[in-house]
Amino acid sequence: MKKDFAKLNYYEMLDIGPDAAFFEIRHAYNAALQIYEADSMVSYSLFSTEERRKILELLERAYLTLINAQERKKYDAELAQAGIIPATTDKGPHRRPACIYDVKRQTGTTGLPKKTNKSILRESVGKNKKISEILSGPDINGAALKSIRNELGIPLERIAQETRVRLDYLNCIEEDKIDRLPAAAFLKGFIKAYLKSLCVEPADDISTRYMQWLERARKSG
Amino acid sequence: MAHIWPIGGGKGGSGKSFLTSSLGRLLAAMGKKTLLVDLDLGSANLHTLLDVPYPEKSFSDFIRRKIPRLEDVVLSTPVPNLYIISGAHDTLDIANLPYEQKSKTLRAIARLDYDWIMLDLGAGTSFNTLDFFLISQNSIFVTTPEPTSIENVYRLVRSIYFRRIRQYFTATEFKALEQEVTRKFGEGSFNKPDCIIQTIKTTHPDKGELLESDFNSFKFKLVLNQLRRHDNIALGAQICKIIEKHLGFHIEFAGNVAFDDRVHDAICQRVSFLERYPYTRTAYDLRELSKNIAQSGSQQLLLRYS
Ligand SMILES: Nc1ncnc2c1ncn2[C@@H]1O[C@H](COP(=O)(O)OP(=O)(O)OP(=O)(O)O)[C@@H](O)[C@H]1O
Ligand SMILES: [Mg+2]
Repeated sequence: MKKDFAKLNYYEMLDIGPDAAFFEIRHAYNAALQIYEADSMVSYSLFSTEERRKILELLERAYLTLINAQERKKYDAELAQAGIIPATTDKGPHRRPACIYDVKRQTGTTGLPKKTNKSILRESVGKNKKISEILSGPDINGAALKSIRNELGIPLERIAQETRVRLDYLNCIEEDKIDRLPAAAFLKGFIKAYLKSLCVEPADDISTRYMQWLERARKSG
Repeated sequence: MAHIWPIGGGKGGSGKSFLTSSLGRLLAAMGKKTLLVDLDLGSANLHTLLDVPYPEKSFSDFIRRKIPRLEDVVLSTPVPNLYIISGAHDTLDIANLPYEQKSKTLRAIARLDYDWIMLDLGAGTSFNTLDFFLISQNSIFVTTPEPTSIENVYRLVRSIYFRRIRQYFTATEFKALEQEVTRKFGEGSFNKPDCIIQTIKTTHPDKGELLESDFNSFKFKLVLNQLRRHDNIALGAQICKIIEKHLGFHIEFAGNVAFDDRVHDAICQRVSFLERYPYTRTAYDLRELSKNIAQSGSQQLLLRYS
């Protein structure tokens, strides 16, 4: 029976067990991206743009939750309460030594970051009304960046792979967790790299506007 | 009772007939009495792949009542244990087979006395083609690593699903069902299988249960043919995964079959590729595939055509 993807729990979405280790989660997420990304041969004919965007968003939320030890603990507690997974005693990130041969590697997936096609991306940026609306608005904050990225359907993980900026930094930026942002000296460079990897130009100006917004937000907050 | 394996899907040229003939040869070589039925009537060419250049009788003789019993249109081939019902000389299209003829054929196929029966169904998804898929719990879908061919597999899987639902209802009941589904879930919901099933479960709980058990009993296999060196070898598994997750059908990935230019050469020379080029990747893949098929028995679905 056709299942509603949104009703699956995060482990089911990623096809992993509730005791999956960090690297298994990461691997599963990358495998899922191969299937669900817009240019994937597997799924292109199965979903509308909107359906795909929703699925990618859900997968990302699943991924970001499960790779964050604290968030995961909270989420597991919810699942345990609902009787979906057995209540566990502490399962910290170092719960067992990870054997490199344990990973159920999907044959053929090299795990190498996939290159997004830049010319296609540039074209989508140019054509997208919502993006130009955001860019011509008063504030460029993390939420604005996230909406731009979602419009383009690019997973955050891909940006992390391409820019080599840590995923949790990128996530804090998008969620506007102001007190957990990287130091200002790095931040502007990160924002620029983020914009560049999405082909959103002019990256220099936009990142400056982000820094201005941040300064205002810090003063008023 | 014979194990019946309908084979179809993909596009024209994905290799269904080549795979059917190769699997037929391999199963026959395992000592199984194997029959291949060419039901891709518009473009029947299984006989050529089996080196039966001028079939003296064919499926149409059965349909046109020239030969009353289906077993009497069976031809032997140069391969021991391997038999064929040819679809050659047919001007009719399986899509246009009248209901009576179709039911008669389905019943006759189910009664044939062979160990293994493979049906080459072509790439179509007409109602009649779907009914032939639904003769058995098992089916083999063939696709190539191309988006268009993969798209057709999804379409086929969906259509089989719908067709099975349709088989449980009369035309008037089905119309009423459509109205009910649309009333409940809104315009356009009647092409969403989950909406239909949910509705059936409340309006016809008994049929809902039967359908669910039918769907659970399907054991479809996917074969990815003509895989070239730079293709993603995980593709087949990924397709199966997405069908399971989003269409709710279990479908097993049965294996890749490598592309090899010499398949073309063998067909042109009308020799068996497996015999002519046994030490190729493609021949190896075909042998692995035949083992996979030989190990999984299949049950016939209870026919509603008595
Ligand atoms: N593994 C392979 N490697 C190379 N060529 C192949 C392979 N499989 C099939 N082919 C080529 O594809 C052609 C079409 O194959 P085939 O006739 O079996 O397709 P089909 O799916 O039955 O098509 P149709 O739907 O038109 O009946 C063959 O003539 C052969 O040359
Ligand atoms: Mg054919």
